[in-house]
Formats: sequence, C-alpha cells, structure tokens
Amino acid sequence: MRRRPYGPCAWLVVDVDAPAAWASALSRMDVSGVIEIVPAESTVVVRCERTRHDEVGAILDTVVHAESTGDPGPPLTIDVVYDGPDLAELARTARLDVEDVVHLHSSGVYQVAFCGFSPGFGYLRGVDTRLHVPRRDTPRTSVPAGSIGVAAGYTCVYPAASPGGWHLVGRTTTSLWDVERDPPALLRPGRTVRFRSVTP
Amino acid sequence: MRPGPALRVVQVGFGTTVQDRGRIGLAHLGVPNSGAVDRRTHDLVNRLVGNPLGAATIETMGGLVVEALRPLVVARSTDASRHTLATGDRVRVDAPAGAVWAYLSVRGGIDVDPVLGSRSHDTLGNVGPPPLEPNSDLPVGPDPGSELVADHAPGDAHGHHRSDRRLRVWDGPQHDWFVGGSHAVVGRPWRVATDVSRVGLRLEVGEFAPTSRAQPRMASAGLIEGAIQVTPSGAPIVMLANHPTTGGYPVIAVVEPDDLPILVQTRPGSTVTFRRA
Repeated sequence: MRRRPYGPCAWLVVDVDAPAAWASALSRMDVSGVIEIVPAESTVVVRCERTRHDEVGAILDTVVHAESTGDPGPPLTIDVVYDGPDLAELARTARLDVEDVVHLHSSGVYQVAFCGFSPGFGYLRGVDTRLHVPRRDTPRTSVPAGSIGVAAGYTCVYPAASPGGWHLVGRTTTSLWDVERDPPALLRPGRTVRFRSVTP
Repeated sequence: MRPGPALRVVQVGFGTTVQDRGRIGLAHLGVPNSGAVDRRTHDLVNRLVGNPLGAATIETMGGLVVEALRPLVVARSTDASRHTLATGDRVRVDAPAGAVWAYLSVRGGIDVDPVLGSRSHDTLGNVGPPPLEPNSDLPVGPDPGSELVADHAPGDAHGHHRSDRRLRVWDGPQHDWFVGGSHAVVGRPWRVATDVSRVGLRLEVGEFAPTSRAQPRMASAGLIEGAIQVTPSGAPIVMLANHPTTGGYPVIAVVEPDDLPILVQTRPGSTVTFRRA
C-alpha cells in the first residue's frame, strides 16, 4: 500500500489488497483524530482532524493487513425473480442463453467487497467471469428499488430507486436499507450473499 | 418530556431543509455525511443564539417565512443578527446579497427526531427528516442555558461579500493524471454553473479543460468534501456536503476547507479562481 495526501484533512491509501479488511483493522485501532474510513475497490479514504494529519498518516503505514473484516453477519440468501429488462441483451453480449445467465448468476457465491454510491448499496464480487460486462453505454435515469444489476465484474441490488448504469437482470422484494432496522444496511463489507431464483 | 411545536413554516421558500453538522461515520455503508452545505454560517447562527454547534438549523436558498408559536430567540444569516420573537411574530429568511444559502437558528435547536445520529436531511440518499412543507410545525429543543454574547456578527465574518474569490487548492490524489497536475486548474477564471445543489458545484468548461493523460480505468474510490473531480468532458465538479460516498472520476485538486464556504456561497454565473495552498 501507498498513501497520497487528499487535502489537509484526509489520506487516500492506494493499492490495498483487501480494502474492507484493511479498513476494519484500522477502525479497531481506534486512532485518535480519525473521523471516517471509506474502503472502496482498491483504496481506502481516511478522513481525520487537520491537526492530526501527519500523525494519522504515519499510523496508516503501521496497519497490519488483516484477513477478517470483523463480523459481516451470517450468509444471506436473496430471492430473485429473473425477468430484468437487460437479461436478453446481457446474454447476447456474453454469448450465452438467458437460462445460462440466470443459472450462472443464481449459483454464484458472492461477497460484499465494499459499500458506497447510496445508502445500503453494496458491490458484490464473485461474479462468474462469463458475466463480466461493462456498464451500459447510457445509464438509466431511474432504476426501480430492488433491481438486481450486473456490471464491471460486480453484481448489486439497488436499495432505492436511483439512476443507474448496470445491466438489470431481475428484482427482489428484500429490503436492503431500512432506517428502522439496526443496522439499517443489510449488506456490509465481507458478508456472503447468494441469489435464489424464484417465480413471481 | 418533549416540548410541543414552536415554529410554523408559513412559506417554505426554495431548497429548505433541516441541517446540522452531518451524519458522520457511516460513509462505509454508503451513507453520505450530508449536513449544512455552508457549515461556517450554520455555526455562526448557532453561536448568535447560544446553541451548541451541533444544534440543527434551517438551511434555505431563500423565500422562507416562519412564525413563532411561542416566544423564541432566533438568528438568521440574512442580516447576521439575533431577533427576539413574540408569539405570532414572523421572520423572513433570504440569502444575503451575493450569496446562495441562508440559515436560521432557533435557541434550543430545531428538535425533529434524529435519524442515524443526525437531524440533517440527506438530499442524495433521502435519509433524515424530509424537506420542509408549508404550514408544517417544528419542535424546538430546551433552552441551552448558555449566555447570549454578540447579537450581531461582524460584516464579513462569513466571507459572503468577498469580491476576491481566489480559493486555495491542494493537490488531489490523482493530480498526476493531468497534464500540469493541479496547476491545470490554477490561475484561470472558472464560471459557476447554474444548477445549484447540495451534492456538488459544477464549473463550466470554457476554452480550457484539464487534459487527462492516458490512464487505466479509474476504480471507484472514497470522496471527500472539497474534492474537485474532473469528468470526461473536462468539467470540474466540486464535491459539497451531500456528496456521494464514492465516485469514479479522478480528483485533480482539493479545495482548502477554510475557503470552501466562499465557493459554496458563490452565485451561478460568477467566476472563481484557484491558487495553490
């Protein structure tokens, strides 16, 4: 890992092997002056008090790479109706039958790599390489809540209606984000997720 | 016991929401910090009524009219002054001349129920109290018991009237993705685009756009307030309080936090320049 200054109150740590695990290791160190730790695809942003910037930076160099992300919660199974509007196009792009796409997606074992974009949104890794496709050329201005998307080597569930550029393969009624629930987000980094094909 | 409604929204105005210092520590779950887009002015109106800085205020782009349902002490950034209201008194809140956002504080703080530790309305994730509605009544918290000191803030305490909008910037983590690095945004005038939001402030591409070196795909990475992302069109977008937690465009520079409120309060169509911190 290397770190780059991100203004006077933050660091961007780059080339992190397991950002969620690294972030949770740092979080457990309970470093004075650290305000926010945001793991992403291969980086972690650490926001801190301005007066502690240098000291926090030096401490980041000492974080011991951890394998575990803490307690991600028990494995989760999400029921999916595979009738997404992009299923046929995705199958064509991947040179597969629609049934194969559904089978590959619903037999995968996924893990939340990181969360971001919007409350409760998790980037799930573990997508079969045959389903690795880029984002749609033109994002949709509105994707319905509960839509299951596939793009850029990840799969996701849209927690709420939002714009989105992923290929939509299905939908679920499972609520990914509920502020009345503790914790409100169903997905957290490290949690294992499976999708089960169900009929509407 | 929670006191009853104390403040009635008579006229809601534009972009009017309850804000505090934000929802901190949940960005790893995709929850934006949110909070007052001009935290300095939010803090200022809280100080004028003797509130702790974490007390919730009302943020508006103007046209807000409220009525006291019981005697209240309020402060508005419109005139940077404290006012004592009797029951039935009304006060109007507009942005000061040349500014975009205004704040109204009430001694005791706007006491709507916090969501995930904050009373801030999150415009991006729709977390927290909903935007204000006309004819809605708001609760106000108990008197903080503090002493009231100044009743008026000095003229340029919050920099709204500063004609020299030269803002300091630091190198962004991907500054070396651009020809000339963060110098590519320094020393030229940038016009503020017309779409005002709490999420980001867009600068218009003029004759000049930062030139990106050939780079591999940018992996989504965490964002911070003040980060200047450069989109493929070359238009820089400055992340504000309600920015998404992660983003996929390179960050060329970061606005000095002490100068950010000046940028936030710059009206669309006006120009700003950056200089290196």
